[in-house]
Amino acid sequence: METAINPWWIIGGVLFAVLNTAAGLIWVERRMLALWQDRYGPNRAGPFGLLIVLADSIKMFFKEDWIPPFADRLVFVFAPAIVVATVLMSFTIIPVAPGVVVADFNIGLLLFLAFSSLGAYSIMLGGWASNNKYALLGAMRGAAQMITYEVFMGLSLMGVVLLSGSFNLTDIVLAQQDGWFIVPQFIGFFIFLVAGLAETHRLPFDIPESESELVAGFHTEYSGMKFGMFFIGEYMGVTLISALVTTLYFGGWLGPDFLPPIFWFLAKTFAFICLFILLRASLPRPRYDQLVEYGWKFLLPLALVNLLVTGAIRLMQ
Amino acid sequence: MIPDLLAALRSRFGNDIVEPETTRDETPTFWTPQGKVLDLLIYLKTGLSQPFSMMYDLTAHDMRAYKKDLNGHSRFDFQLVYHLFSFERNAFLRLKVGLEGEYPSHPTATHIWPSLNWYEREVYDMFGIRFEGHPRLRRILMPSNWEGHPLRKEHPARATEMGPFRLWDEKQDAEQKALQFDPAEWGLQTQSEDSDFLFLNIGPQHPGTHGVLRVILQLDGEEIVDAIPEIGFHHRGAEKMGERQSWHTYIPYTDRIDYLGGVMNNLAYLLAVEKLAGITVPPRAQTIRVMLCELFRIASHLVWYGTFAQDVGQLSPVFYMFTDREKVFSIVEAITGGRMHPNWFRIGGVAQDLPAGWDGLVRQFIEYFPRKLKEYDKMVMRNSIFKARTKGIGIFTLQEAIEWGVTGPGLRACGLEWDMRKKRPYSGYENFDFEVPVASHGDCYDRAVVRVEEMRQSLRIIDQCLKNMPEGPYKSSHPLTTPPIKKHTMQDIETLINHFLNVSWGPVIPPGEAMSCIEATKGWNGYYLLSDGNTSPYRVRVRAPSFAHMQMLPYISRGYTVADLLSILGAMDFVLADVDR
Amino acid sequence: MLLQSSASSYLPILIQGIMALAFVGITMVITHLVGPKRRTIDKLTPFESGISSVGNARSPFSIKYFLVAILFVLFDVEVIFMYPWAVNFRELGGKGMIEMFVFMGMLLLGFFYVIRKGALDWEK
Repeated sequence: METAINPWWIIGGVLFAVLNTAAGLIWVERRMLALWQDRYGPNRAGPFGLLIVLADSIKMFFKEDWIPPFADRLVFVFAPAIVVATVLMSFTIIPVAPGVVVADFNIGLLLFLAFSSLGAYSIMLGGWASNNKYALLGAMRGAAQMITYEVFMGLSLMGVVLLSGSFNLTDIVLAQQDGWFIVPQFIGFFIFLVAGLAETHRLPFDIPESESELVAGFHTEYSGMKFGMFFIGEYMGVTLISALVTTLYFGGWLGPDFLPPIFWFLAKTFAFICLFILLRASLPRPRYDQLVEYGWKFLLPLALVNLLVTGAIRLMQ
Repeated sequence: MIPDLLAALRSRFGNDIVEPETTRDETPTFWTPQGKVLDLLIYLKTGLSQPFSMMYDLTAHDMRAYKKDLNGHSRFDFQLVYHLFSFERNAFLRLKVGLEGEYPSHPTATHIWPSLNWYEREVYDMFGIRFEGHPRLRRILMPSNWEGHPLRKEHPARATEMGPFRLWDEKQDAEQKALQFDPAEWGLQTQSEDSDFLFLNIGPQHPGTHGVLRVILQLDGEEIVDAIPEIGFHHRGAEKMGERQSWHTYIPYTDRIDYLGGVMNNLAYLLAVEKLAGITVPPRAQTIRVMLCELFRIASHLVWYGTFAQDVGQLSPVFYMFTDREKVFSIVEAITGGRMHPNWFRIGGVAQDLPAGWDGLVRQFIEYFPRKLKEYDKMVMRNSIFKARTKGIGIFTLQEAIEWGVTGPGLRACGLEWDMRKKRPYSGYENFDFEVPVASHGDCYDRAVVRVEEMRQSLRIIDQCLKNMPEGPYKSSHPLTTPPIKKHTMQDIETLINHFLNVSWGPVIPPGEAMSCIEATKGWNGYYLLSDGNTSPYRVRVRAPSFAHMQMLPYISRGYTVADLLSILGAMDFVLADVDR
Repeated sequence: MLLQSSASSYLPILIQGIMALAFVGITMVITHLVGPKRRTIDKLTPFESGISSVGNARSPFSIKYFLVAILFVLFDVEVIFMYPWAVNFRELGGKGMIEMFVFMGMLLLGFFYVIRKGALDWEK
């Protein structure tokens, strides 16, 4: 690759950008939800309420770091760390602009799948370690949901791999120069989006949390920064899935030349983040057996058929 | 109806089975000896043609301090009062049983009507009357370690008659311990063949229960094996308070029973008071009352609509609906000065005449609201995930609904077109043209369908109020009207005296008993009042619909999942203050 | 395309991993140090809507989706076989396609068997 940028700068830059995006999403999400729900949202601290991000972070930092005596101490502490660490690691494979990627890696997608499987542990372990009944139910739901959606998250990506012939995300972006994969892979995109929602367990698929049923689900006993880790991990997950959708189906950094490639990448990613927030604002939550059933009985066969049809068409060309 | 019913009963059981009594509200009332009441109840429910299939209410009176003549009937220490309802006859039947002794006992009738379970527990809790053979006779509204029976006359009615309340650490621990659930006490298994059951508290401090309701779930995985609602956390002794407030000053307490229904509670109470006093309310006051009640029906249903959507995880509708509810409240505020609890109806009418410009506000809302309802239909009712969460969930049949005393939209969702505003019109509802929405499946979704349609019908009624608001006084000129119309007091000494007495002491309502029953937001709401000719009621009985509905929760939630429980609770549309009073 | 990663291409990932863990670790340690410590009785019991709970959250209780977990393992392993096929699709050509058809056909057959058996039905 023609990279001339010091890889340390890239790593630092990606980490800095991701963490700040996640923090900024606190404000973005609350303002956007407010906009769609006909109310103000945070508007007091600083211009447009932007300093709410700072206020929230300070609050998190100075909260009591509490490990309940009835919990499994070690696991209880590790669970929130897992989610943040795995999502942060997944960002290594995403090319932000030509040459700007932490690891230009020929098995990039597989790495993402591997880390997203690891992420599922954080919910299971966190809920289990809490030794709380709501948390336990939430953890069990989370486990069923995440393993279900992992199967065809991988399957839905295969269409893209088929078309580009590579697991490397830079190659995948470059393969879209003649046309974004959203057109031939619309079904794949849809399945990946649903699976991504389920993996990040956001509304409408926030079934491990489902506030109205399980209080706070798997993180009922968490507070302070350990809760903050789950919180920020969720936002980073949203950013990750948005960035991946952009890269895999919407041509990544590709766009008209009058603006730099990184702008296109960021703009598209932000658009998908907004889509995530809009979905949260508008959809009710399915019951989790419905979600699991929908996954197995509808999305899984659909993903398989999509793969076969893509293959067949590709072969005929 | 009374003569042939009397004849039918006497021909079957002999002459001494029942003894009729004439009451002020003209509800058919029979006294029956204690030994025969069970046979009589069974016959009334199953043997009679056009049976009394619903057990509407059971309550008791502590008659030991009642000084007035009892309509010629002999006095007992306590009397139990069963209220039955027959849909075929469109009639209530009041059945009274006299009980003697300090702590009398009485045979249970829970095997005849399952819905009597909670009512008998309530009577036991409040009066100390034991029901022999009751499956689980324990306190229901008061904490299990509470001492005494609050509705007995020897129990103080004022805080000043007791020492100050203190909660020291040991007491708090004891209370906490008393709240802990013991499966054995309820006869529940702790494990199945291959796994343990999980006992999970949903509430009292839980985001999904709309207040301090506690539901104890016996879970097999996520499946509900059994559910036990524990109520009473919101109990404020509304019935006891009635015994120390004057007839007039009790009105604001009624506002807070179904706190989403606002003045509709005033109406239920006042209809009973006015029956006792023999007051006829002038048409303008009646129409104002109807209009306000329907506005509150819309406000209440909007809260239900939004929170129901939120219960199944839809975040946004509740914000839109509360915004619309604010619009209703701004009308209510312009008319009454209050918002949620206006306390605005008075004995014999309403507090004030409508303000200038009220019609503009109402007209604006009538034009604005249908559009929003259409939008909400799209947003909530036609959402496929919402449908998946509510269709086929929490089903009960019409038969079961009647058996358990379900009223209001829940009953209509089973296909019975029964609305008290149509069938037993009060406050001039017979003059209005509206439809009674029904649905047929009796599941959570259908209950929602009925309520949504009811909002449209309420709007129709409000529109008719707007177009046909009668002229005339907003208060009756009856001497017991409280406070009386001021301008007359300046004319003659009679009304001046009435004014003075009614305002300083409160009105003296003639002795007797009367019951009202209105179609409130959540079902049939009734006040059953007993007067001994004093400035305050001798006994106030509040029959709240949510109490009966909540009792049915275990029955309709077994076999569903925890997530479904929230759909069921949401579709039930209860208010904890209405359950616990 | 052959897998041609060398150990060196993992290096950036390793570095990022270390930095991510460092971020998490440092943040948690700092909050542990700066946050207040207040022990009250109410914090010592698991939250269950304000009522002391009955029994333990760690009891053996029924998990309806146990079969889902088993199916996940089966399907996930089988899906792995598709990855190399997808990436080498062009080299394998029509023959590979047909083989994949056969493989997926068998997979789907098993899948329909599972559905017919009702393994994915909640109510049984």
